[in-house]
Amino acid sequence: MNQPVKKPGPLESLTALLSRAARRVEPVVGQTPHEVVWRENKWKLMRFAPAVPKYRTPILLVPSLINRWYVLDLGRGRSLIEWLVAQGHVVYCIDWGTPGDEDRYLTWDDIGGSYVGRAVRLAARETGKTHVLGYCLGGTIATAYVASHPEGVASLLALAAPIDFDRAGIMALWTRTPGFELGPLVDAFGNVPWRLMQASFKMLRPTLPATKAVSLLDRAWDDEFLESFMASEKWGNDNISFPGACYAQYIQELYRENRLVHGTFSVLGKPAKLSAITCPVLAIAFVHDNIVPVDAARPLIDLVGSRDKQLVVENGGHVGAVISRKAVTRLWPAMSTFWAQRD
Amino acid sequence: MSKLWDTWKTGFATWEATTAQYLEKVMSTPAVLQPAATMMTAVMKTKAKADRAMTSWWALWGLSTRSDQERSLHKLNQLESKILDLQEVISQLSQPSRPSGPSTRK
Repeated sequence: MNQPVKKPGPLESLTALLSRAARRVEPVVGQTPHEVVWRENKWKLMRFAPAVPKYRTPILLVPSLINRWYVLDLGRGRSLIEWLVAQGHVVYCIDWGTPGDEDRYLTWDDIGGSYVGRAVRLAARETGKTHVLGYCLGGTIATAYVASHPEGVASLLALAAPIDFDRAGIMALWTRTPGFELGPLVDAFGNVPWRLMQASFKMLRPTLPATKAVSLLDRAWDDEFLESFMASEKWGNDNISFPGACYAQYIQELYRENRLVHGTFSVLGKPAKLSAITCPVLAIAFVHDNIVPVDAARPLIDLVGSRDKQLVVENGGHVGAVISRKAVTRLWPAMSTFWAQRD
Repeated sequence: MSKLWDTWKTGFATWEATTAQYLEKVMSTPAVLQPAATMMTAVMKTKAKADRAMTSWWALWGLSTRSDQERSLHKLNQLESKILDLQEVISQLSQPSRPSGPSTRK
């Protein structure tokens, strides 16, 4: 008679964790082969291409300004970029780099106008158009850019992107609290330190460290889970400080005045009206996202002028849903199909 | 062991969901947010004042301050971007048939 297979538990997980700690293994991230096609100030543009592209229109990825780009390339088998390239897409991705002290004067126009504009033109150089994907704050930046400068953009995919800041949850409450003054914060630090921002994100779910510890104890015996966990922890603790002037504008004009929704935001002097977006638009939001609630992401679809528009609400959280094993079977194919059908 | 662990996990999940919900409510109240914001602003103002005092003292000696250097570097970066913009326009004017876009800069 066969013995029932014993499910590994916390003891096996502890053993695996200790063994990994002893070997001092660092997760390998951002390893998909690429060439750097542009460098300017601290940012650069990377190009990832299959040997034989299957699709004509490239995809430009605009990551969040305060997180590293490699959340989209989190190691073999967990990388959205690697997967897209394997499907035959040519992918460009912005790496914002690390702002120096002098970058405290960079404004939204510099970053979300000049830099993103250059990235769009570079990506669209061969074919005249590029798909644009913005993730999180990168989605807000991409949306504002496309609304003000639609040239060269084939489609917009806003992935967990905050658009309506009246519905942006506790972060909106915090930034609108009387007594929270932007001037002294930017004066004191120049660039707003990522540790300060990370602390406010942790405030969103103070029990998260305990949940992570339990899931580690439960699953660390699984090499693939452990590798993925370590990679996402590395990413989660490797953030970027926010250029001061841009941060002040972001909080004042978007979080407090909700200008993108009211149609009063502008990029490089051009109005960024969501109704001016007429290219195909896909907005993806996540049910358990406590950083960008579904209600903050949904209004993009209500307000754009496009006829070809769609909102997809998936299970999962802000980061987990984008890098989990399930993403490979549901989210990533949905994104690829969106682009393939509009190639 | 496995059954015990599974039971504990279920209990933990229930506790976590309830606690997180409760904490979110507490964190969202003005009673928590307002004092936190006021305290943070006060600390920032003190730091900014101390920095300004140090800068003024430094400038008294006719030396370039940290802020002067940051401004100069920023201006240089802005200048570089403007030159790149110009190069892009010139390249577009010289090759009007090609889709617009800068050439690579590695």
